[in-house]
Amino acid sequence: MVSGCLAKMVFSDVRHNYVIHYLTAVGILFLTPLLFGISQLDSILSAQPLEIILPLMGTVLMTPVFFPEQNENIRDVVRSKKTSYHLLCFIRIMCSVLMLSLFIGGFVIYMKSAGCNVTAKHFAGSLASALILGSAGFFAAAVSDNVIAGYMTSVIYYMSNFTMKDKLRVLYLFSMSHGRFEEKKYLVIIAAALVAGGFAVRKLMRK
Amino acid sequence: MSFLFGGDNMNNCIEIKNVNKFYGKKQALFDIDLTIEQGMFGLLGRNGAGKTTLMKTLAALHQKKSGEITVCGLPIEKAKDIRAITGYLPQEFSMYPNMKTDEALDYLGALSGVPANERKKKVTALLRRVNLIDHRHKKVKELSGGMKRRLGIAQALIHDPKVLIVDEPTAGLDPEERIRFRNLLCEVAEDRIVILSTHIVGDIEATCEQIAIMDEGKVLWRGTVSSLLENARGHIYTANVEKRFLPQIKREFIVTGMIAQSDYTTVRIVSDAEPDLPNVVLTEPDLEGAYMYCLHSSGCDISGGEE
Amino acid sequence: MLFAKECRKISGSLVFWIYCIIIALMFLTQYFSDCTEREYPPSPGRSAGDYDFKPSGDHDTIIEGTVNSLINDYYSNKYICYPLGFYKAVHLKDKDQEKIEAYITEITGLDHDKLAEIKNNCEEYYVSDGVHEYKEYKAEHIDVDTDNISYDRFREIISDIDSILGGGSDYAPESAEYNFSMIPMTYEDALEEYNELFEKDGIAGAYARLFSDYLGIVLGIMPVFVAIAIAAADRRSRMDQLIFSRSISSFRLVFTRYAALITMMFIPVLTEIIASVIQLLVIYNGESVAVEKMLGIPVFWLLPNLMVSAALGMLLTEMFSGGTAIVVQFAVWFMSIMRGGTVLSGNIRKFTLVCRHNTLYNRAQFMLHKNDFIFNRTFYFIASLAAVAVTAFVFEMKRGGRFNGIRLFGKDGILRRKA
Repeated sequence: MVSGCLAKMVFSDVRHNYVIHYLTAVGILFLTPLLFGISQLDSILSAQPLEIILPLMGTVLMTPVFFPEQNENIRDVVRSKKTSYHLLCFIRIMCSVLMLSLFIGGFVIYMKSAGCNVTAKHFAGSLASALILGSAGFFAAAVSDNVIAGYMTSVIYYMSNFTMKDKLRVLYLFSMSHGRFEEKKYLVIIAAALVAGGFAVRKLMRK
Repeated sequence: MSFLFGGDNMNNCIEIKNVNKFYGKKQALFDIDLTIEQGMFGLLGRNGAGKTTLMKTLAALHQKKSGEITVCGLPIEKAKDIRAITGYLPQEFSMYPNMKTDEALDYLGALSGVPANERKKKVTALLRRVNLIDHRHKKVKELSGGMKRRLGIAQALIHDPKVLIVDEPTAGLDPEERIRFRNLLCEVAEDRIVILSTHIVGDIEATCEQIAIMDEGKVLWRGTVSSLLENARGHIYTANVEKRFLPQIKREFIVTGMIAQSDYTTVRIVSDAEPDLPNVVLTEPDLEGAYMYCLHSSGCDISGGEE
Repeated sequence: MLFAKECRKISGSLVFWIYCIIIALMFLTQYFSDCTEREYPPSPGRSAGDYDFKPSGDHDTIIEGTVNSLINDYYSNKYICYPLGFYKAVHLKDKDQEKIEAYITEITGLDHDKLAEIKNNCEEYYVSDGVHEYKEYKAEHIDVDTDNISYDRFREIISDIDSILGGGSDYAPESAEYNFSMIPMTYEDALEEYNELFEKDGIAGAYARLFSDYLGIVLGIMPVFVAIAIAAADRRSRMDQLIFSRSISSFRLVFTRYAALITMMFIPVLTEIIASVIQLLVIYNGESVAVEKMLGIPVFWLLPNLMVSAALGMLLTEMFSGGTAIVVQFAVWFMSIMRGGTVLSGNIRKFTLVCRHNTLYNRAQFMLHKNDFIFNRTFYFIASLAAVAVTAFVFEMKRGGRFNGIRLFGKDGILRRKA
C-alpha cells in the first residue's frame, strides 16, 4: 500500500461511514452495567452480561459493512478505483473485529477490577458470540444486498437463542452461562466461514 | 507497487474484440469491435443502446461474457491494474453525502493509491481546475448538480489516469455548464484517451474526432465525424411547408430539425430518396441529420423519434 | 387504489418474506408441534408436591413467607433482585439496612436486640462466588403474629423495601403475593384446574393464550424491520421527492401505508389462527370448542404488538433513520421480555409490551390481571395510532421543507430548519 493511503482510507471511512456504529456499540457497552449487577460475580454469572448483551455489538459493527455503498452510483465510483472494493470492505470488517476485541477486552478488565471472577476464556467466549452474531448479519446483508435484512437475520438468530436454547447445539450463544465452553470454537470457525462466504457471494454476484 | 506497463512497449490504445455481454439471459452487447486511440472518442446512441454497459465493462466494473479487451496493452481481466490507469465518471455521480468536497476527493485519491504528500497538492490543483476551490468545505449533498459533476470529473482525474471514461457527462447541465464541461474534457484529452458517451449530438460535434454509434448493443458505425457526414451526403433535405401539414410530415418522414418562419416552417428531413414535398432542397449534412441517417440506414425504427 | 398498490409493494419486499418465514417457524416449532395431542385429566392418588403449585392468596401465608425471606437477606445483607430481568445482588448501606430493620420490627414486633440474638443463633455458612467467600445466614423459621399489622400497611412496607432495593426484588407487592403464597395443589385442585379448561375456557381460550404468548414474542420486534424496509425504500430509490410532490394528503398517504403494512403482516398470523382452529377441532373432536375465543383473543392480544412495532418503525425512520428504529424497538422488546424474568405465566402489567402466559392452565392468574391486560392492549392500540399521526405530521413537515430529519451531530445542531 502506498504510504498514507491506508491511514487516510481508514480515517475517512471511520469518520464518515462508521462513527455512528461505533457510538452505538459504545452505548451498548455503557448500558450493560445498568442492566446487570457486575460486582463480585462468580464465573457463571459473569458470563451473562458478556454473552447476553455485549455480543449485540457484533450485530451493530459487522452488519453494515456494505451499507455506505448501498447506493449503486457511489459503489461504481468506489469500485472504479485501484484499491479493490472488497479490500476496503475487508479493512472495515477487520476494524470492527478489532474494536469488538477492544470493547469486550476493556469490559472484561472492568469486571475484573469490580471483583468478578473473569478470565481470558470469558473474553474469548464473549468475542466468539459477538463474531458469530455479527457475521450472520454480515452474510445476510451481503447476499441480499439489503442491510435491513442483515440486521433482521442477526436479531432472529439472537432471538432463537431464547426460544430454542440448547436445541441450537454448537450455534448456542450463551453456553458459557451454562458453564460450557466447547461451542465457542465452532462459533469462531462458522463466523470466519460466513465472512469468507459473504465476500465470495459478493464477488460471484458481480459476474 | 510495480506497474506492469510503462517503458517502450507502451501501447496507447484500447482494443475491443468481439465482446459479448449478458445480463442474465438478455444479451446487452453483441460482438463489439472497436479500437480507441488517444484523444476524444465519442460513443453516440439512444438511451438503452448499451453505451453505459460498454463503458462499465471498460472500467472493469462489469465482466464480459466473451471476447477480448486490452487497455494500453493490459488485458481487462487484470482489473486492479486497469483501475489504476482508468478514471471513471458514472452517469449519476454520487458520493457519501456527509463528506466534505475536498475530503471526498482526498478519500477517493487514497483509494486510487495516490501517496499522501502528492494527494494534498493534487486535491487543491484539481479543485481549482474544476472551479470548486471556493466550495471545498461544502458537503457533497450541498453541491448543485453541475458542481457535483465537476467533483465527479475531478475524482476521475485524481490519479492522473491514461484513460478517462465519462458516461453522459452533460445530461442535466445548463448550457453554460455544458460548454465549460466540454472544454474541460478537451483539455484533459490532450494527453490521454477520453471516452465520452452521450445521446446529445452537440457534445460529440464540439469535441470528438473519432466516434462510434451504438444501438441495441451493437456498433452501427465507427469512424471520424467527417466520414459520418460524408456518409449522409445526399440524404438530407430541407423543405418549407405550411404549419398545418407538420403532423403529417412528421409521421411520414424523419424530421431532424424545424425552424418556424412567419407563415411556413423549414424542416430538415432525412430520407433515402427525394421526398415529394414543395421546395425540397438537398442540403449539406449536419451531424444530427447524419446520426439519424446512420440509425435509419441500419434499419432502426426512429420514426417519431423527434416527438 | 392506493391501498392495494401499497400492499403489492410490501409483498415485493424481501424483508416481508423473511418476516413471514419467521412467523411461520415460530408457530410451527413452538406452538403447532406442541399441541398435537389433547390434554388429559390428572391421575389421582399422588402426593401433594407432584401436582403443580398454586398461589393461595392467603394474607398470613404471604406475610410470614415474605418476612422470613427478608430476615435472611437482611442478616446477609445480600438481596437478589432482577431489576431488568437479570440477576443483581444488592448490598445496602448502613442507613438503608436500618430502615429494613425498622420495617422488620414493625411487622414482627422483634426489636434490635432480639434480632441480634436470633442472628447469633443462626446457621452460618459460606458461599463462594469464585473470588471471595461470603458469610450468609439462615435463621430459624419465625412465626409472625399477623394481627399486629394490617395487610394494607404490609403492602406499603414491602413496596417501600422494593424501591430501597432499586426495584425488581421479590418484595415488590405483586411478586411477593405470588412467590410467597405458593402452596402445593391437591388432586382436587389439579382436577378443578383441568376442568376449567373445558368449562370456563371452552378449550379454545387456553390455547388462544398459549398461541398469543408465542406469537407475541415475534410480533414485538419483527414488524419493525418490515416497516423500515418500506419506509426506507422510497429514500433508497430516491423516490421521496417525487412522492412529496403528489397531491395526496400526508395523513392519507401515511395512514394508507400503515394500514397496508398491518394488513399484510397480519395475514400470516390470521392463517395460523385458522390452522390452530382446525387443529383444535381435530384433537378435541366431539368436545365443544369455543372457536370464537381462538379467533378473538389472538387478534386482541397480538394486533397491538404488531401495530406498535410497525408504528415506531415508521416514526423513527421518518425522524431519524432506520438504524435508530431498530435499536429503539429492540431495546423496548428486550426489556419487556427480560423484565418478566423467569415468570412466564401471567406476566402482564399495565405497560408490558410483550404479554406472556406460557401455559394452558393457570387461568386464575391470568384473570387476576384481566383489567390490566385490557388496559394494556387498549393503551398500545391507541399509542400506535398516535405514533402514526405524528409520523404523518413529520412527513408533512418534511414535505413542506420545514424539517429535514433530526441530526444529532455536526454543527447544524439538533433541529435543522430550512426556509
